[in-house]
Amino acid sequence: MSKKQSVSKQKGSGSNKPLGVRVKKYAGFYVMFLPILVFAIIFYYLPMFGVRYAFTNYNGIKAPKFVGLENFSKMFNMPGFWSAFWNTLQISVIRLILTTLVAVVVSLFLNEIINIHFKKVIQTIIYLPHFLSWVVTASLFSLILAPTGQGLVNTLLVNLGLVDANNMIYFLGSSKTWRGTFYVIQLWKETGWQTVIFMATLAGMNLELYEAASIDGAGRWGKMRYITFPALANTILTVIILNLAKVMNLFESVFVLQNDAVLDVSNVLETYIYYQSFNSGSIPNYGYTTAVGLFKSLVGMALVLICNQWSKKVREGRGIV
Amino acid sequence: MKKKKKIEVFSVINGLIFIIVALIILIPIWKILVDSFDLKTAYGMKLWPEKFGIEGYRMVLSNPTLSRPLLISVLTTVVGTVIALTLSTMGAYVLIQWEMPGRSFFANLLLFTMIFNGGMIPTYLVLRQFHLTNTLWVVILYPALNVYNLVLMRNFFEGIPASLYEAATLDGSTPMQTFIRIVLPMSKPALASIGLMYAVSYWNDYTHYKLYINNSDLYNFQMKLRGMIMGSDLPTAAGNATENTIKNAAIIIVIIPFMILYPFLQKYFVQGVNIGAVKE
Repeated sequence: MSKKQSVSKQKGSGSNKPLGVRVKKYAGFYVMFLPILVFAIIFYYLPMFGVRYAFTNYNGIKAPKFVGLENFSKMFNMPGFWSAFWNTLQISVIRLILTTLVAVVVSLFLNEIINIHFKKVIQTIIYLPHFLSWVVTASLFSLILAPTGQGLVNTLLVNLGLVDANNMIYFLGSSKTWRGTFYVIQLWKETGWQTVIFMATLAGMNLELYEAASIDGAGRWGKMRYITFPALANTILTVIILNLAKVMNLFESVFVLQNDAVLDVSNVLETYIYYQSFNSGSIPNYGYTTAVGLFKSLVGMALVLICNQWSKKVREGRGIV
Repeated sequence: MKKKKKIEVFSVINGLIFIIVALIILIPIWKILVDSFDLKTAYGMKLWPEKFGIEGYRMVLSNPTLSRPLLISVLTTVVGTVIALTLSTMGAYVLIQWEMPGRSFFANLLLFTMIFNGGMIPTYLVLRQFHLTNTLWVVILYPALNVYNLVLMRNFFEGIPASLYEAATLDGSTPMQTFIRIVLPMSKPALASIGLMYAVSYWNDYTHYKLYINNSDLYNFQMKLRGMIMGSDLPTAAGNATENTIKNAAIIIVIIPFMILYPFLQKYFVQGVNIGAVKE
């Protein structure tokens, strides 16, 4: 973006005129931008100024009183906070690597399907779960995975002799199985849609490369390994960088799949803030939860900036913001 | 000759693998559909209803508190999509006025929101202060300014030759007139794609209701479904329909409108991703 801007600035003939004249020329555009500005201020900038509550004991009722860094020292001494912090990082990063990896493999093989109609049908099917809401997805899997004779998966495992009928697996209700189940649901829902970007890259590839490789005697595997996969490398890196910047934002997917029994392995920062603020059973300590949120936002910001630099390095100067 | 045969074997195996993948995606959904029609609830591994009946649907649909969430879902989706699309197209159009004084300031103002945000609680407190919480305005307006989609739209606009709207400006039409008469008609593919993305996210919204709305009269269908699945808001099992049959029927009712439209809309969704990719 900055590149384009400087180019147009150089050729801009109007930039020699006085500012007043130029502003007047664009008056209509400023009016058009006004609603966007109002939305940005109310919904993004005013909340940013709200982070000042992190240094107070605000509880929504009494006027906030300045308490310095008390909320932060409380936070760093809370085991619940640290568990939520590490859970956020682990779940987000593992989920990102898993879906990207599986999506790449699926794309490579999808690309080998010769029959266009079959390919279209498969693509339509695998994109579908992306558009189901997390509430629907969670509802669906809570029924399929139910630890009773009504749950598809447990009945299947019992019939295969892998699980005892009196001791079915409570996939979403046990700390041992929750994470794995979460990743599987995540893969089911998002892998297909992730292939869209990889398939777009493959569609834009130079076919002559394949012909040249065929002449050189490369087989199917050789072509996949030495041509198709390297062509995807840049896109893979892009996808990882773009998503790494968002790893702190994990909320809805975890929230709808978790329950009290699995909080130790599933509580992430956003759900921690939610429970502490709205579900703690006592007067909420907005000061404290704002502090946790501020910490989350700062880590998130650091990640975005790091990813941005990284992106500029590997993507010929193009940042992510 | 030998080589040709080998490739065919690969294609067959590859095709089979993808059939299995497709089944893995479809079976959970199929299972819910089957069970929603099965009045005998020892569902187990059955992939066809044992005792067919529409009792489950009758129970869900006869629930008097159900039409309201459905109406709210439709209303917020339509109004929200229109507002969100208006904001992203107008904003994107202003941001391609490269010589406009303050343009880069406005762009950076929006982009900064992608880097830092106030967080859940300060946002909640601001929305409460503006008396938006516990009204439908919060779920319509708060998600309406999506900077990411605005940038996608701007990328699309950059592809329209500037000479087209410069000519209109010479004709003496105002920026708003140029925008409505020239820019929007040329942007139909982008409007369809980004509009659909907004519509899906409004239809699927759960988080904003959960965080900002406390009044069950204002719940959308996702909230209603969640209540039913969690058992707190289940129509009492009566007649032949058991609790689980009702739950399955409720899921199907939520997804059926989208499932019917999806095959026709799919290409627009994919197109939307590629609008972003043009810039890549």
